[in-house]
Amino acid sequence: MEALKVWSLSTKPLNLRPLIHLASSSYSSFATKRTVSTSVRCCTPPSTTSTRIGGAPNRRSSTSPSTSDRDAVRAIRLKKVEELRSKGFEPYAYKWDRTDTASQLQDRYKHLPNGESKSDHVSTSGRIVARRAFGKLAFLTLRDDSGIIQLYCEKERLLNDQFEQLKTLVDIGDILGATGSIKRTEKGELSVCVNSFAILTKSLLPLPDKYHGLTDVDKRYRQRYVDMIANPEVANTFRKRAKIVSEIRKTVEFLGFVEVETPVLQGAAGGAEARPFVTYHNSLGRDLYLRIATELHLKRMLVGGFEKVYEIGRIFRNEGISTRHNPEFTTIEMYEAYSDYESMMNMAEEIVTRCALAVHGKLTIDYQGVEISLERPWRKETMHNLVKEATGIDFNELGNDLEVAKDVALKTLGKEFENKDISAIEACFSLGHLLNEVFEIVVEPKLIQPTFVLDYPIEISPLAKPHRRHAGLTERFELFICGRELANAFSELTDPLDQRARLEEQVRQHNEKRAAAASEADCPEEKIKQNDDDLYEVTLDDDFLTALEYGMPPASGMGLGIDRIVMLLTNSASIRDVIAFPILKIQQ
Amino acid sequence: MENSVEETAIGVSNLGMEDPNGPGETASKNARKKELKNKQREEERRRKEEEKAKQTAAKAGSQVQKSVAADDDDMDPTQYFENRLKYLAAQKSDGINPYPHKFFVSMSILEYIEKYGCLSNGEHLEDVSVSLAGRIMSKRSSSSKLFFYDLHSGGAKVQVMADASKSGMDEAEFYKFHSSVKRGDIVGVTGFPGKTKRGELSVFPRSFVTLSHCLHMMPRQKAAPGSDNANAKKTDVWVPGSTRNPEAYILKDQETRYRQRYLDLMLNMEVRQIFKTRSKIISYIRSFLDNLDFLEVETPMMNMIAGGAAARPFVTHHNDLNMKLYMRIAPELYLKELVVGGLERVYEIGKQFRNESIDLTHNPEFTTCEFYMAFADYNDLMDLTEKMISGMVKELTGGYKIKYHANGIDKDPVEIDFTPPFRRIDMIEELEKMANLNIPKDLSSDEANKYLAEACIKFDVKCPPPQTTARLLDKLVGHFLEETCVNPTYIINHPEIMSPLAKWHRTKSCLTERFELFINKHELCNAYTELNDPVVQRQRFAEQLKDRQSGDDEAMALDETFCTALEYGLPPTGGWGLGVDRLTMILTDSQNIKEVLLFPAMKPQDEPSAKATQDA
Repeated sequence: MEALKVWSLSTKPLNLRPLIHLASSSYSSFATKRTVSTSVRCCTPPSTTSTRIGGAPNRRSSTSPSTSDRDAVRAIRLKKVEELRSKGFEPYAYKWDRTDTASQLQDRYKHLPNGESKSDHVSTSGRIVARRAFGKLAFLTLRDDSGIIQLYCEKERLLNDQFEQLKTLVDIGDILGATGSIKRTEKGELSVCVNSFAILTKSLLPLPDKYHGLTDVDKRYRQRYVDMIANPEVANTFRKRAKIVSEIRKTVEFLGFVEVETPVLQGAAGGAEARPFVTYHNSLGRDLYLRIATELHLKRMLVGGFEKVYEIGRIFRNEGISTRHNPEFTTIEMYEAYSDYESMMNMAEEIVTRCALAVHGKLTIDYQGVEISLERPWRKETMHNLVKEATGIDFNELGNDLEVAKDVALKTLGKEFENKDISAIEACFSLGHLLNEVFEIVVEPKLIQPTFVLDYPIEISPLAKPHRRHAGLTERFELFICGRELANAFSELTDPLDQRARLEEQVRQHNEKRAAAASEADCPEEKIKQNDDDLYEVTLDDDFLTALEYGMPPASGMGLGIDRIVMLLTNSASIRDVIAFPILKIQQ
Repeated sequence: MENSVEETAIGVSNLGMEDPNGPGETASKNARKKELKNKQREEERRRKEEEKAKQTAAKAGSQVQKSVAADDDDMDPTQYFENRLKYLAAQKSDGINPYPHKFFVSMSILEYIEKYGCLSNGEHLEDVSVSLAGRIMSKRSSSSKLFFYDLHSGGAKVQVMADASKSGMDEAEFYKFHSSVKRGDIVGVTGFPGKTKRGELSVFPRSFVTLSHCLHMMPRQKAAPGSDNANAKKTDVWVPGSTRNPEAYILKDQETRYRQRYLDLMLNMEVRQIFKTRSKIISYIRSFLDNLDFLEVETPMMNMIAGGAAARPFVTHHNDLNMKLYMRIAPELYLKELVVGGLERVYEIGKQFRNESIDLTHNPEFTTCEFYMAFADYNDLMDLTEKMISGMVKELTGGYKIKYHANGIDKDPVEIDFTPPFRRIDMIEELEKMANLNIPKDLSSDEANKYLAEACIKFDVKCPPPQTTARLLDKLVGHFLEETCVNPTYIINHPEIMSPLAKWHRTKSCLTERFELFINKHELCNAYTELNDPVVQRQRFAEQLKDRQSGDDEAMALDETFCTALEYGLPPTGGWGLGVDRLTMILTDSQNIKEVLLFPAMKPQDEPSAKATQDA
């Protein structure tokens, strides 16, 4: 109970008053200071149970605290650290035994009528996010992981000169532990009537003002902890993320899937088409790639006799960053022996709806102002039909002439296409690629409600099994919600000879692109950059092919983008809102 | 014919019978050897008989057809592979898809055994239909009209007794088809359940389809062809915490086992249990922490600075951002930032990366669990660790005591006792006592450095340069204290100079509130009351910089973002890290970290991996 040391030493109140003003208001305007009661706006939106703290909104027009303000605040607070130590208090305590969190208190005493007290002894702790101090009375708002509770500090009730200490040495942002009894104020605010308190951690920097903290987007991501202190709903996103991941895990474990861990560092990066990160292992003396998918190793597990496996893990792709892309992201990949892609559709529905119910308790959700219905069953349509429906072009009737097909596509859709789309169409080197390109440009953005897009062309699906009825297609689907791909699944290709041929073809195509890109060194800058994207090396994972030669059972597999599911279910516009520490450009 | 069928069935069912001596952990080595020899002799005798029976059967069946199975064993692997390719090509040219899209499985083999294991000997349920699938791990024939297979799936096996009269094919067709089915193939059978007269639970197929083909010759123990069955039996009894003997595996060659883990998993049934145990360990940790209201989070694996530990990081490059990135060596600093942000209890289970050489306890990527708990200190965490680890051992093994081959597989295993509470030893106090030293109290002084350097010389404890005080102490502690830590033991109160992120001890000067948990002389956990005074933290980083300048490239780098976060106030917090791989090693009697990693990092290999199986 070291930390519970009460403030029993009698000390002469220091004349720190001017300093406090400086400290507590450095991020509010200097002009709005009052002399007797310091009113500082809570930097959190008050919860429904708490009354608003402070009077009229104290809007400020000043910008974020400048560096010199921060330095001044730090200097003052460092002095307070020294002062505390000189009085025998440790401003960085070792522990605090708390009996209740804020929400436990709010819950337990929710029926306590206004103006009434309970003599129960409670102990709680958290960060001070607001305070009002009067002559002999002070109100502090304490926030912990669970919620908010008010600390009601009366001079008479506090031991010795603790009240003076409270006024002189405690700042907003400090982490406090407090013990006392329970009271609901006349205004209806549940409070801890404080007998004693201890500063557990002295904060040195001022918390950002709510409005500025919110608008400084870059800072939100760079200093996520500040974002979370200023905006509790941000922490909620990460709580929901944990819940979603846990729900996914529960769902697949219940179905008998076993979680495994496959390597991040690999000799060859396979299982997808993307530029990998390269690193170097000193003692092995070789380059290693960061995985771009977990697929090829999980399939080895199927060969080894694990019939239901999954891995939730980080994937790395050396690509540009955007609201939808972070170089590292999280997926679940799962593989089930003796099943086909039909059963994976079922699985995708199961997982996403369970997550939605876990987070929202219902299947109708709002995403960026659009209502999404996750009621099952979801729409299933082939890629051919979707393209036909949207463009009128029936790729089944176009024959095998790629050039003719391109002409038809460009003529029919020329007006809708932007320049980059036209060059993408022209660059297609097979009908399958062309169909997919048209699909991506025209259809994808329109797939708002959950839709399974079925039966992708074989040319763009090197790991999927040929369709059992339609030549040239594969048993593959992707799941789209809100115009975004959430899942990709197929009946897995198990024929080692077919697989080898397809991967070799992929490498050949890639090398052709690379050679073409290298020879076009004199083209405009934009194009060079685009070509540069293809300048990485693709290697064949021979060990994987050998594994297939030992026989993999018929199976289906699916990859689900967890970040995207979290975006959907937390109504987040950017992937950076669901990744605690997204990768950002180097700060100027 | 009926009689000979049953006879073969008898021979076959003997194979599957439990060996009364079992893999007997208590049996002495000699007894085991003797037993193995006897068994081998018996197997040999049986095999010869079987072969003879096969030959007669083949002759009886058809004059031209030869026993394919017998031939396969002697075939050159390349020849074997090419024959299989030819077979596939022939199938395809006949318009048959040799890789069907789907096979409906009505129940797992385990469920099948549970449901029909109680049939009485000789009982057949001809009006029941079941569909099973799996890999064929052994094939025997008694005539051209009767084939026996061991079908393996999900760690269990069942006999398939394929009888031409039940197959719906004529005899020639039946024989031709079953000659094409090879050991290692994945098949689906639909048929009825029954038991042979000798009590071997079997499935009697009405239809039999090959779902995927094994194109390579499956490694096998030539001396004891039936021992895969014995091995399969053994997995039923292996539980975490008991000993293993990889030397007795069908596939022994370590290179092959690690490079082609799927073969290891197929052939050595215990291996599957290792990875199931690993999965259970992680689940246990996760549910333990979830029950305490911890939140699982994910922090970046690629950073601008590799902080939170002292180790050489992997470096990579982001093209689009033109940015140098390091693979994380620990998630510590990010997790503490989240605690600053108000998430009071967080944890992350994930990969860390260290650019170090590979040995028995080190792999370049490994899995840790770290958690951070606001308002708790290292005393709380010691209690919590005891609860977690001993509870886990109890749940996984049924008791608190496990067996582990600490001194190699050829020595007797040691017993490790996880009964709480764990022993606690104060690092400096105990070191002084054991080595009869009187270490200067100010450990940052030159005097202390000199004293410890001399102590190292006196006790012949090697400390390669740079001889910083932290490194000297570490070597002495390794020599005197860690050696005594076989049962779980906390070494506590490390000096500040060894612990740049731990909080100074509330009563003992120059020390920190830190503990490491040692089991079998290896560090498993590292935890402390977190240093949350930003001023002191910056000083500690500055001191690390000094060590770095004196040549210790494992000294920690300053992370400015982290220090700024501390200035916003980190509550009093206890932080904790556990090496998941090492814990798995102890509970699975593994002496090499590669045993518990599905795909461990291996040196590059020149020849194609398929070749490696030939000498298995």
